[in-house]
Amino acid sequence: MGKPTDLVQGTVDLLILKTVALERAHGWAIAQRIRAVSKDVLRVNQGALYPALHRLEQNGWIRAEWGESENNRRAKFYSLTRAGRKYLREEEANWERLSGAIGLVLKTS
Amino acid sequence: MRWLDKFKLRVRSLFRRGDVDSDLNSEMEFHLARQIEANIAAGMSVAEARRAALVEFGGVAGLTEECRETRRVNWIQDALQDGGYGLRLLRKNPGFTAVAILTLALGIGANTAIFSVLDAVILRPLPYPAADRLVLIWTDMTSAGQSRAPFSGPDMADVRSRSRLLKDVGGIWVGRAALTGTGEPEQIKLGFVTDNFLAIVGVHPAIGRLFVAQDNLQGSAPALILSDGLWRRRFGANPEIVGQAVRLDGNVVTVIGVMPENFRLMFPADASVPPDVQAWTPFRRDLSREPRDLNYLRVLARLRPDATIGAAREEMHAIAAQMRKEFVVDSKQGEEFEVMPLQLDTTREIRPALMALFGGVGLVLLIACANVANLLMSRAGTRRREVALRSALGATRARLFRQLLTESLLLSFIGGALGIFLGWWWTAGLLSLRPKTLVLVESAGLNFTVLGYALAITLTAGVLFGLAPAAEASRFNLIETLKSAGHGSGFGIGKGRLRSLLVASEVALGFVLLFGSGLMIRTFLRLIGVNPGFSGEHVLTFQVAPGWARYPSDATHAQFFEQLRKNIATLPGVDAIGGASHLPFDDYPNWYGYYWPEGAPIEKQQSVMADHRATTPGFFSAMGIPLIAGRDFTDADDASRRRVAVVDDLLAQRTWPGESALGKKLFVETIKNGDFTQGETEVIGVVKHVRYARLADEGRPQVYVAYAQNAREQVAFAVRTADDPAALVGTIRAEMDKMDKDVPMSKVRVMDDYLRDARAGTRFTTLLAGLLAGLALALAAIGIYGVTAYSVGQRRSEIGIRMALGAQRGDILRMVLGEGMAWVLGGMGIGVLLSAILVPALSSLLFGVRATDGVTFAGVAVFLGVVGLLACYIPARRALRADPIVVLRYE
Repeated sequence: MGKPTDLVQGTVDLLILKTVALERAHGWAIAQRIRAVSKDVLRVNQGALYPALHRLEQNGWIRAEWGESENNRRAKFYSLTRAGRKYLREEEANWERLSGAIGLVLKTS
Repeated sequence: MRWLDKFKLRVRSLFRRGDVDSDLNSEMEFHLARQIEANIAAGMSVAEARRAALVEFGGVAGLTEECRETRRVNWIQDALQDGGYGLRLLRKNPGFTAVAILTLALGIGANTAIFSVLDAVILRPLPYPAADRLVLIWTDMTSAGQSRAPFSGPDMADVRSRSRLLKDVGGIWVGRAALTGTGEPEQIKLGFVTDNFLAIVGVHPAIGRLFVAQDNLQGSAPALILSDGLWRRRFGANPEIVGQAVRLDGNVVTVIGVMPENFRLMFPADASVPPDVQAWTPFRRDLSREPRDLNYLRVLARLRPDATIGAAREEMHAIAAQMRKEFVVDSKQGEEFEVMPLQLDTTREIRPALMALFGGVGLVLLIACANVANLLMSRAGTRRREVALRSALGATRARLFRQLLTESLLLSFIGGALGIFLGWWWTAGLLSLRPKTLVLVESAGLNFTVLGYALAITLTAGVLFGLAPAAEASRFNLIETLKSAGHGSGFGIGKGRLRSLLVASEVALGFVLLFGSGLMIRTFLRLIGVNPGFSGEHVLTFQVAPGWARYPSDATHAQFFEQLRKNIATLPGVDAIGGASHLPFDDYPNWYGYYWPEGAPIEKQQSVMADHRATTPGFFSAMGIPLIAGRDFTDADDASRRRVAVVDDLLAQRTWPGESALGKKLFVETIKNGDFTQGETEVIGVVKHVRYARLADEGRPQVYVAYAQNAREQVAFAVRTADDPAALVGTIRAEMDKMDKDVPMSKVRVMDDYLRDARAGTRFTTLLAGLLAGLALALAAIGIYGVTAYSVGQRRSEIGIRMALGAQRGDILRMVLGEGMAWVLGGMGIGVLLSAILVPALSSLLFGVRATDGVTFAGVAVFLGVVGLLACYIPARRALRADPIVVLRYE
């Protein structure tokens, strides 16, 4: 697996942040939820997921804490920080603008 | 809070890497477990589920690394890794490591030691509040040959009242007084001060109070402030000392305060204000009523906070000009007032020497760095393969460069740590060796400034000697290196040119240092060879001041001294004895004044000065001062007869050239009942000129007047004996006790000690310069040796081939020596040029030798050439002992 391009990296970040914004979750749950909500189109595998989670944590947008999962196993749960919430809003706006612009270009040709 | 959390994360990533990694592992395990569960739920068997999950997981190792990458503390980890690697490498080459570290430690240690002295003397302000506002004011009478002269009372009062930029002006004159009462009578250095003097300095007393204006009035009760040393030693550190009465010169004086420990007056040496003044007392008279041309006060002033030195200087010049117009006394013609900041003035004698040493020690560090750079480069040669491999495995050039530089810095820091320790040790050594006049040096030590400097030069040195080897080692042709057998550098061959250049520059710098110290050594030898005009061996000296209270008149003083002299003369072991008001090289305030011969026109009358001395009969023979013509004083030359004088040959030649001075009349300064006036004397003898103040200067001519006709408060006796002078002390003290138990005998020293002290400053500088030069020489020799040895080692196969083809040992030797010496001689050439440029800065330190002295040049050149030759020859010879067949086969 090579280094993901910036666009892909940014997209995974956005997906993770959005997922975690709704409620705190561990890595596995985040991947499952993204898959489910996107109707099985977007599959984030662990090679992209965990580095992204680490990076987001280092940047201070999500925070991690160990807790008990559904089946009483220890898992690391991620939740959104206030800065993360702000960043998510900005990135969502950016994404809207970007995809809107791409859509316009595709429509007119 | 966000950055705090992030910081905590980073710190955790750095220091608890194991924990972070194991966290990640746990997360992975959890994820894997859930995946397996999901697979089983989707219908796979347990084994299949597991396998499928693992396949999907892929390489966890890469995952861990990637996660680590994102943690962005890599550069710290890399640096630590480089450091650890470097340490291991150093341990594997103990010889190399030891030499490199030692070289660096010597260079850094020497720099640290000298810098600590520099810090104490020049950088740190004097230990007084707002010390940069303190200035000394001198009277400049260049027309009379005296540019730093003291003030007279009226002049000082006028300056004080007329100046607007000076907050306050005070004066001091240091004399001697006899302290009696509690314990043995003791002669102390007493500072007579204006009431505001100590307040100007600004240091508050530890006990009691400072003087106020009332203390200075004529009729007031005499007050005394003690120094801490005197208080502890003589008064047992009695806390109730204030109000206690003591006897000073027989008068009752009340102690009103004690100055703090470590309080010292840091005045320049020629101000006659020694740092060990033991007590202060006010003048108790109105100084402005004294004669305007009686100059004896040392003036200290404090600038207003907003005044600059330049403005103060101008103001003083203006005031001097006013006063020249107002007081048309001949002595005032051409008189000027000069303002000097106190710290600058106090350090003016030591500054040149200190800066020269600082420069020298910097050169030594450069030589040390060059040596270590050479060492590193020769080691880099043997690491070529390793570097090539690492490059092949993917290390970038920047990474390699960083690693090599880190190794250099590591070396530098270890050397620096050892160097700081050496510097501390050597600073202590410097302190113990220092000449006693350099009081400021006492506070030299390892403080934060010095440590900061040591750290800075360690870092600089590391970068300096690390850059070249790192750059060279990381830049190379990968294929070439892996293919070749690593033939390499030697003198002037390919990349070895840099190393040869370094060695040549070492030789150049070493030349400068050797030349400088050679000049200092010659200066010192010249100084020792100076004939001061007297012979100080086997001469015991001591000083006596009986005090005006019990010996109230000139006559009783003279009588006392005459009796004492005669009594001591009869003691066994005494060859000759005489007394004088001033001993050569003592710190008693000088007595100098105008002199002119009978018949001199008015304009010539107050134009030249001579040092005046009041002596008893026997002084010249006791001190070994040759009598050239006429006679010494006798007992017959007393107060009832005509006044007589003995002059030195300088004065005689200048005043009456070509004639005999005997019988001529000379107007000199005389003392009548404590007052100084000009009086006529007849010259009865001529003695050889004596150097009284500085060995390096001829000084002023001298006039000796008879003590019996010019009583002064104290006499310094010189006793010549054939045996050990110290043995006489007891008998002399006993003799004095017989006459008067309460008269102290102070400053008992062998005359030679005074001479030794006079030479001490130059001896100190010369010693240090010699040490530095020796260090530089050793380092340069090691450098030359190292490069030659390496060069010969690298060229073994070439040498083997040459010998197999018929070259004799001698030919090879000549070839190696020739190349090596070419660089050494080149370095010396540059060294000569550098010396011609840099060494003249030392001129103020030299005596009897010019900065372009040819003999020293030649001597140093030959010496360095021989050392260089040896350093080339020895490794060359050793290498040649190898059998050419063996050498060729080795390849």
